[in-house]
Order: sequence, then structure tokens, then C-alpha cells
Amino acid sequence: MSGNPKTVLLVEDNAVNRDMLIRRLTRAGHTVIAAEDGEEALSKMRQEHPAVVLMDMNLPVKDGWTASREASADPALADIPIVALTAHAMDHDREQALAAGCVDYATKPIDFPELLAKIDKWLGQR
Amino acid sequence: MIESDTKPDSPNATEAWAQRVLVALETLQRVASRSTISIPTPESDDFAALFKAGEKLVERLQGPKDHRHHDLMNIIGAIRGYSEMLDETADSLHPALREALTPVLRIATQSADGDMLSPISTAGDSVVPSEGTHAELKAAKAGSKSSDTGMILAVDDMPENRDLVSRLLTRAGHTVVTAESGEEALELLTTLAVDVVLLDLMMPGVGGAEVLRRMKDNDRLRATPVIMISGRQDMDQIVSCIQAGADDYLLKPFNPVLLQARIAAGIERKRWHDREEQYRQQLERNERFIRSTFGRYLSDDIVDELLENPEGLDLGGDLREVTIMMSDIRGFTTLSEQLKPQQVMRLLNRYLGRMTDVILEHGGTIDEFLGDAVLAVFGAPKLRDDDAERAMRCAIAMQAAMDGINAENKAENLPELSMAIALNTGAVVAGNIGSERRAKYGFVGHNMNVTSRIEDHVGPGEILASKSTLDAAAGKFATGPARELSVKGIEEQLLVFPVTGLAGEIAS
Repeated sequence: MSGNPKTVLLVEDNAVNRDMLIRRLTRAGHTVIAAEDGEEALSKMRQEHPAVVLMDMNLPVKDGWTASREASADPALADIPIVALTAHAMDHDREQALAAGCVDYATKPIDFPELLAKIDKWLGQR
Repeated sequence: MIESDTKPDSPNATEAWAQRVLVALETLQRVASRSTISIPTPESDDFAALFKAGEKLVERLQGPKDHRHHDLMNIIGAIRGYSEMLDETADSLHPALREALTPVLRIATQSADGDMLSPISTAGDSVVPSEGTHAELKAAKAGSKSSDTGMILAVDDMPENRDLVSRLLTRAGHTVVTAESGEEALELLTTLAVDVVLLDLMMPGVGGAEVLRRMKDNDRLRATPVIMISGRQDMDQIVSCIQAGADDYLLKPFNPVLLQARIAAGIERKRWHDREEQYRQQLERNERFIRSTFGRYLSDDIVDELLENPEGLDLGGDLREVTIMMSDIRGFTTLSEQLKPQQVMRLLNRYLGRMTDVILEHGGTIDEFLGDAVLAVFGAPKLRDDDAERAMRCAIAMQAAMDGINAENKAENLPELSMAIALNTGAVVAGNIGSERRAKYGFVGHNMNVTSRIEDHVGPGEILASKSTLDAAAGKFATGPARELSVKGIEEQLLVFPVTGLAGEIAS
């Protein structure tokens, strides 16, 4: 696969939270690119082909569920693992995320070490 | 299926949580801004980002209600993220910063581990303010001029807010009573001596504006300072509350330091008012004292004037021209020996009561009752142009009043009385006579003795006025033929005239 093997795409519409995660992920050694909505996420995925996508589900323009479904249906993007960031640890959120083509999910507020572990896991599988 | 917008979280609980995060963050920011604490890079950037997130949280709390919960959760998540990041590098941080960071982290992390539905219920004992916050508050309190503590009534329908305010203010040494509704607040206010009321604007039922209005309508509560609490969107109502008499306001989420400052200012205002009230009561007591002391021998208008211009109440003693009136009931001593004591008192009180009224009506100052004798002065403590004339009119009115008194006496089988009145005009020394323990406003001087001598010569039912009085009254009265009296201490004879009535009237 082409692309940036170490790059993490963070899709998050909330600027405060996005800035924080970018800062933290960068501090942890990752190269981070960011998108603010589902539409931008898909175009960044096509352009940059990141190693992992961290996708908030509640997004403007195009929500995370739709963007994930479209990405998994797109042969050019289907191999990029998407980790859903959901607001609540509810079973149907998890099921929905998996049904939409996400490989994993993390609940907000983010348990950062756990998120790092998930990123490492999906990076390692590539 | 999709219930992402109908989560069972209480939006109020999230807001309260956000406020508690802000409280802790505020303390951290204060510590971080101390000049003695330097923050290394890249941590300084992280702190800046953390505080920026705090600002966003404030903004979002005051923003539209739509998606507020969601956005707040995100921002608190970011604050938590920054705090964790900083906590990881805690070893390189100043101990004070570490100490202040801990509560931020703890509060921001809380709901993730605990029960999402009730972040407050997991707040437990150590949420806000933390030890660090407490220390800050203590420092702020010690540094502030007014370290006075008081009784605060916090009125808010949201338990989280009551809890928060209660903790903050209790830690600062105040006594906090809370009410969950306007109705409860008003009820508490009827019995409690409250120094400051912290009043939420938006409450179901009786709202903050109504509580304020009722307080301002109440004499006892009117002066109690009220600090309104509301969201920024209710600014219009805050303005009208200020116009209606609210002393101050705080916007949610309020800054705890600001809260303390406003409360302190409110308490100071209350203390000022209390002192003022005390002073006013003292003045009132003084006025009552003056009124009761002088009221016995001064007419009401003179007392009023003295109270209005207390500098005129110079009773230190001065030589002044007055008209002196002495009256007595002829043969009263002999009369009283033939009556029962109760009858004597009845006669005397009826007579003196009536005479007192007449003298005061004419602006005279009653100096003394000596048994049946009355000593009154016209022209002291307040000098007027017509003192002699009023004294003359008064004397005529007093004699006229005897008819009524005697009619009543007769009806009760009491003896008829006849009164003699002497008038004399001249200089006397007027002032407070006596010692500190017992002093009275009185008159001394040769003219007092002269009056007394005239009195000795007045016949029953008669008025005798000296020439000086008649001269001062400028011929407005009809008199009988002059008599000459010799008075001890004066070489020449004293001329006195029986007063028969007003000039132009036929003497009876």
C-alpha cells in the first residue's frame, strides 16, 4: 500500500478537542493530520492515505457513520483502519460503528493511553 | 435506534460539571500566572492551550443551548487531555503548579470513570475546591481588605449550583443557607438575618426578579444586598434587576474569585448599612430624648426647629431679653389643706394640664411647675419678635380658660379657683443650670425676682404686666391704671398695669 505509514488522520469538528489531540498525539511521536468533517476526512484519506483514521462520529457536513461507510465501500480507502470516537460507551454505538466499517472504537472522553494502544495495534497490523 | 441526542445525561449536570472544571482551572491559572513560577517549554504551550480550552468552555456555557451538552463534553475532554499530558511531565513542574493541576485533572476525569449520568454525585468530598483552591481562597481572603464573613443565602433551583456555591463560600468562612426556590428564599428571609443574597434569575415558580421585587417592598429586607446570577443571554433582565435595586450580578459560569469578591463587597455594604442604621437609631433615641425632655416645656414647633438646627440648641447660657410669666392660684395652699389628696391632684392636674396647653399654644417655654405655680418664659430658647405680645395674649387666654376649668370643678363639687398672672420683660441668663448629673434649662437673674415681686401684688383673676412688657407689646392691649411697686434692689418704683384685654375691646 502506498501512503504515509506513520500518519494518523484525526477527524474532529470540535477545535479545542482537536487541538488537544493533535498536540498529544504529536508529543507521543505520531505524525498527525486533521479534518473537521466527514467530507474533508474522505478527501484527506484519498490525498494522504493515512495509516490510521481516528473518526469522531458526530460530525457536520457528513457524519462519521456515513464517511466510514463510504470509505469502507471505496476500494482505494477500504484498507485504512478507522477507529470510531463515540461519545458514549453504548452497545449500539459500538455495533453501529462496526457496521459502518470501523475496525475499532474509543469512547469520549478519550482514555489516551488506551487510544495510543489502539493506534499502535492498527499501525502494527499494516 | 439512534439515540445520540436523547442521552439520559442531565444538561444541567454537565453545566455544573463544566463550572467545577472552571473553578479548578481558575486556580491553576492564578498559580501559573505568579511571577515567581516559571514554566518550561513545551509545557508553557500546553498550559496556554489548556487555559484556552477553559476560555472555550466559558464561551460554550454562555452560547446557545443546542448541542451544548455535546460541546461541553468535548471541551472538558480536551481539558482532561491537556491536564493528563501536563501531569505526565509533572516532575518538571513547580510544586505549586502540580498541586493546582491535580484538582483539574481529577474533576475533568471524574465522569469518565464514574457514573456518566451524575458527575455531581461522584463529586464526593474533595471536588471543589481542592486543597489548592482552598489555599488560594484563603490567600485571596487574607489579602483582601474585607475579611469579614457573613450569612449568605444562596438561591438556585439547581442542586449542583447550590452545592458549588455552598462549598466555595463555606470554605471562605461564610455561613451559607440555601434555598431551592424563590418561595423558600422568601420564607427563609422572614426569619433569618441574612447579610447577602445570591439570587439565581431563572427559576421555576417565583423567579429571581420577583424575589428581588418582594425584598425591595419589604422595609426590613430592602437594604440586604442582592447579587443576581444568570447567564449572559439574560442580560436584559439583569439590567432591569439592577434598576429594581439589585446590587450586583454574576454571569454563569461564575469565576469563584469574583464570587468571593462580590460577596465580600456585599457584606461590607451590609455592614455599612447596619452601622448607618445603628447611628440612625441612636439619633432617633436622641431625638426622642430631646423631645421628651424639652417637649414638656417647649412647644412642638420649637422642638422641631431645635432638632432641625441642633446648633441653635446652645444651652450653654446667654443673656437674653425674654418675657417672664408667673402664675399661681390664689389661696391654693389653704384650699388644699381642706381637700383629700386625690381631690388636690385632680384640681391641680386639670388646671396645670389646661395651662400647659395654652402656654405651649402661644409658644411659651414652661420652665417650672411649683405646686400650683407656673413659671413660663417667652423668648427662650428661641427669640421671636412678638414674645411680649404672645405672653400677653397667653395670659388673657389663661384667664379665659379658668371659666371652663371652674365649670368642671363645680360639676365635681370641687372648689372654684382664681388665678393671678404676672408678666415682666427683661434680660435673664438662660441656659442649662445644674450639674452634669442633673441639669435643666432654666433662667436666672434680677428680672426673675422682679416678676416674683409683681406676682405678690396680683389680685385674684388678674393679670399684672410691667411697663417693659407693655412697651414691648407695643400698645396692643387695654390696661387699667398704673400701680407703683417698690422692688428690692431697684432704686426707682416699678410701674405695673392690670391687663384688661386686647386694645379696642371693652374691659370686663
